[in-house]
Amino acid sequence: MKQRIAVAGLIGLALWFLPYGLDSYAIHVVNVILIFAILAIGLGLVMGVAGQVNLAQVAFFGVGAYATAILTTHQGLGFWVSAVLAVLATVVVGVVVGTPALRVQSHYLGIVTLGLALAFTNWVTNAEIAGGAEGISAIPAPTLPGIDLSSEYLYYYLELAVFAVVLTFGLFVVRTGLGRRMRAMRDDALAAGALGAEVPVLRMTAFMLASVYGGVAGVLYAGLIRYVAPESFNIANMFLLLGMVIIGGRQSLIGCVIGAVSLALVREALVDHPTIAQVAYGSVVVLVVVFAPTGLAGLPTRIRALLARRRGHQGTAAQLQPFQPYETSPADDTRRTTAILEVEHVSKQFRGLKALDDVSLTVADREIRGIVGPNGSGKTTLFNVISGLYRPTAGRVRFLGRDMTGQAPYRLARAGMSRTFQNLRLFGDLTVEENLLVALDRSRTRQSWRYVLRPISVLRRDRDLHRQAREVLTRYGLTEFAGLAPKALPYGIQRRVEIARAVAAAPTLLLLDEPAAGLNGEEVRQLSEIVRSIRDSGLTVIIIEHNMGLVMSLCEQITVLASGRIIAEGRPDEVARDAAVIEAYLGDSMTADDLPTVPEVTR
Amino acid sequence: MQVFLQTVIGGVSLGAVYALVALGFSLVYRTMGLVNFAHGNVVTVGAYLASTFYLSTKLPFALAMVVAIGLTAAIGLVIERVLRPLENRDFDLMLIGTIGFGIVLDALIIMVWGATGRAVPSPVPSAPIELFGLRIRTYDLVVLAIAAAATVLLVLFLSRTKRGAAMQAVAMDHEAATAVGIHVGRSNAIAFMIGAGLAALAGGLVGPLLYVSPALGGALGIKGFAAAILGGFGSIPGAIVGGLAIGILDSFTAGHFQGYSELVTFLVFTVIIMVRPTGVFGERTVNRA
Amino acid sequence: MVRLRAAAAISTVAVLATVLATGCSAPGSDEEESGSDSGPIKIAVVDAQSGQLSSLGAWELKGARLAVDEWNAQGGVNGRQIQLDVFDDQGDPTIGTNLARKIDSEGYLAMIGTAESAVTIAMAPLLKQAQIPNITSGQSPGLVGAGSEFLFLNGPTSTTYDETLAKHILDGEGVKSIAMITNNGGYGKGEHDAFLKALKSRSVTPVVDQVVTTEQKDFSAVLTSIRQKNPKVIFLGAEEVESGLIVKQARDLGITATFAGAAPQGTPVFVDTAGAKNAEGTIVSSPYLSNEINEASKKFAAAYKAKFNEEAELHGAKAYDGTQILLTALKTSNVATGKDLAEAIRGTKYQGLLGNFAYDQTGVGIFETSIGIIRDGKLVAAGS
Repeated sequence: MKQRIAVAGLIGLALWFLPYGLDSYAIHVVNVILIFAILAIGLGLVMGVAGQVNLAQVAFFGVGAYATAILTTHQGLGFWVSAVLAVLATVVVGVVVGTPALRVQSHYLGIVTLGLALAFTNWVTNAEIAGGAEGISAIPAPTLPGIDLSSEYLYYYLELAVFAVVLTFGLFVVRTGLGRRMRAMRDDALAAGALGAEVPVLRMTAFMLASVYGGVAGVLYAGLIRYVAPESFNIANMFLLLGMVIIGGRQSLIGCVIGAVSLALVREALVDHPTIAQVAYGSVVVLVVVFAPTGLAGLPTRIRALLARRRGHQGTAAQLQPFQPYETSPADDTRRTTAILEVEHVSKQFRGLKALDDVSLTVADREIRGIVGPNGSGKTTLFNVISGLYRPTAGRVRFLGRDMTGQAPYRLARAGMSRTFQNLRLFGDLTVEENLLVALDRSRTRQSWRYVLRPISVLRRDRDLHRQAREVLTRYGLTEFAGLAPKALPYGIQRRVEIARAVAAAPTLLLLDEPAAGLNGEEVRQLSEIVRSIRDSGLTVIIIEHNMGLVMSLCEQITVLASGRIIAEGRPDEVARDAAVIEAYLGDSMTADDLPTVPEVTR
Repeated sequence: MQVFLQTVIGGVSLGAVYALVALGFSLVYRTMGLVNFAHGNVVTVGAYLASTFYLSTKLPFALAMVVAIGLTAAIGLVIERVLRPLENRDFDLMLIGTIGFGIVLDALIIMVWGATGRAVPSPVPSAPIELFGLRIRTYDLVVLAIAAAATVLLVLFLSRTKRGAAMQAVAMDHEAATAVGIHVGRSNAIAFMIGAGLAALAGGLVGPLLYVSPALGGALGIKGFAAAILGGFGSIPGAIVGGLAIGILDSFTAGHFQGYSELVTFLVFTVIIMVRPTGVFGERTVNRA
Repeated sequence: MVRLRAAAAISTVAVLATVLATGCSAPGSDEEESGSDSGPIKIAVVDAQSGQLSSLGAWELKGARLAVDEWNAQGGVNGRQIQLDVFDDQGDPTIGTNLARKIDSEGYLAMIGTAESAVTIAMAPLLKQAQIPNITSGQSPGLVGAGSEFLFLNGPTSTTYDETLAKHILDGEGVKSIAMITNNGGYGKGEHDAFLKALKSRSVTPVVDQVVTTEQKDFSAVLTSIRQKNPKVIFLGAEEVESGLIVKQARDLGITATFAGAAPQGTPVFVDTAGAKNAEGTIVSSPYLSNEINEASKKFAAAYKAKFNEEAELHGAKAYDGTQILLTALKTSNVATGKDLAEAIRGTKYQGLLGNFAYDQTGVGIFETSIGIIRDGKLVAAGS
């Protein structure tokens, strides 16, 4: 940490004295690069951190610049007033551009945002107020008492200060709750939603953040160049920006800055050979994408990993510690009879296939309910309906007495429902500890204004969350894995991390989808102990499982599904004797269940 | 009414070209999971090759087209080799990786053919057909016929031949196809070759309609991609419908909104995508939980 | 590589910083010696060498290069050789402003270009501040509006082009039924406003006034509505290729009206794109009708052909004239710089390929164009 502060201090010092070594052209180049670096940070936030393809960053940039130009020249407002209004205008545009992200993702979002960026250029080319194709000239230079900002050298310090602020803010966001939640959403939007991340709000927040950065860069651009025209905000510049972010490393804001600086310098060096510059720029982009997909910022890690492999891969020395049971919370007999979950006559139809057919079940408080059935009998579909991933074709789902049918998964999660997934949905690019932190953080995304107005309280909260995460890690014996990526861990440990994560979200009802799949005998025994302890701490558990031994010993009530219908329900011993159950299981060869199952389709 | 119909006719003619571009996008995407943003630049290569054989070597237009399609398909094989590491990567990497490759292609085009473009005279000299006061260019009919023929051939290839069936299998399930002994690499290479060939077909056909220059493919690429998305990415009939729809939409906004046409086109497009995110025919996406 | 300086400076900054910080002066006090009295005279050509407008840039560079080479072959200016360096603005105003600072810091005396008005307007305040005279090929009235005494045009403005055209069509031919198609780009917008003004001054309103985008490829809607109005003349305010496409599609739709326009409509690119038959009869207002117009143009065209192995055209001729004027001013002013050089340019009376140049306070030096007609794919003077 001290080393980092020292490095940052040195870089800061170097940047402070930089203008003394530059002629008037070089300082201009540096000023333009700083603006692009700010843009790149914004794009890194929305694309790299939040995983939202945004090809309209250049339009945000344009809106900021144009709004400043229009307000200062046509309305005669002062530069700083215009600047504030311009950033606000950009945020409004950011919300508009972000709206499609609520419906579409990936390449669909790419073409839509690109289209909106083109629409913006088209508008400024035509609009009288934006000066048409010839743009707006004679934008007044910003003024500060005692400082002549028309000097590019002094303007550099303005930009540097803004740059430092926005970079720090960006890093602050990425490394605390909001950024963590965005990264979780990027890695797995479904799982993030199931843990209570308000995916739509998060996506909009990401676009708004990017638009603030675009707006700020636009304002600085207008103050620096003092002229705006449509060509400066065209697709070629958008692709350049994209290249900067990818080359630098999109998941790291510092990487985005490095990318912006290095790509700008390469282009500057080749400015007299446009065709060669084009070949070089294109090739660099392709090479980086192919050989270093994590960008320049990711190189040190990759090299370290490579060296480690050369030296002969030593597996992690980390050891799994035993689970420490929860304290049993005294059973409250009045609640014992209340139903936590009521599924009433639920049917779910997929294009002619009836996955669930009039399913009803009631789960009481502190019950461990098992759901079994042959493959394709609709178990996971039932879970998906309960947890809000699917809207049922008919019927209702009541949770804690309230009708929650078809509510978004994150609403159900916030209401106290938590689940694991059949084929593990851990956030791959987050560490084990961060996976838990995402679940522990119950704050609302729409309270993100705290980042601006009450940063200290955000930091304090985050420290608190870290403390809680350490407790969870200790309880589940995962302390030594805290800093590791889940992908690198043995399967059994990943399963345990996922359960720990689901419980960390402090649910009332826990849904476990085949938690024993792929576990060995000892691990199954530990699982059984963990689930029981979780229940004893006051939770209700529903478990889908093929391991009959586990189900029989663990569950108090068992529901048997076959072909989307409930064929039996009752205590384990009752169910085991049921004729319909035996037939269903013999009809569908039991041995097939021991094979890895084909995952069922969810939306 | 006359303006309306004439506008439709104008839109259909360019729409057919967008459809061919979209077809290339979709075919490559459904087979190998690659969103190839360099596709537009391949169109430019095809347009230059076709016009070079037609104008400089004085080959008959049809022959020039065939040679250009063959050559571009061969170039496509080389491109596929370069882009192979990007297949099935996450979208951001594919996006910028193929854009980067497109930029290189563009620069090479400028090195070979220069920065200035060339006009290609229409190979069908006969006068437009006049029908109820509407005028239909004979060349437009040729373009439509060829586009339709290409689509039919493609569908026949995919459904009737062993190689095509193998490609369909790869499109549906990569791993299962490998398991039953289908050579996925070869299948991908062929898909890309056909995609490049379609690009050359589009580029060659559009040459006499427009003007062949290094910037030609960029505009066609964006519209073609939008068309593919509009129809349902990866869907063959979707590409055709999407292409024609974008062409007609473009034509109408140009008539009604003048300078603001591009703005309106993309706003309408955005709204359609938001209402129906998987396009007209829908993308077969399987998201596994 | 001079361009690497920025890179080098950043990487060695830590060293430099400590050395220079001891001076404790405000940064930016380094002034490069510009216009030193020995060595070559440095002139910059700033134009798009890549991107959509690169063909214009290529033509301009050739015209300027030809003029400079002729002077250098005759011993340069006052015994000093002229060094002509090219900078690529990519048609982007931001890059233009970068380059304005660059040519300032590297000590260029004067600048030729750019071909795009928006880029030139963006650069104008910086060049004015740096006192670097600039001879541009733009023709937008907005250039005059920039109000820089360091900015000169190497041809007439759109106002002149379109006034001449309107005079020929309305006053000469007596045609009143006129439709307009212009694009929303910088050039098209300038043409739109200038031609409309020329019509207004004659109390004529166009029967149709259609605006298209610079990217547009299909004009059937626009052209069909024009066809219904059946105008005699259609005015085109768009670049070469787009105009060519419009004409081609118009003829396919059965529009028989005559087309009219300014410089782009006289170029081979326009004629080729439209097809010679379709472009037949197009009325063009241009200061440089063809390479065969007089002795000077024949000589220029021959030299151009010998040097670059292609036919000379308007843009090359304009850049050639502009460069000649600059070099003449350098010679008469004994290689003056800054304000003095600008005054020398203003004082230069030059008989060029486009006509007789005599600059006024707005930086425009020529106020006439001629009317030409496309006949058999070639632009010839009207009435010949």
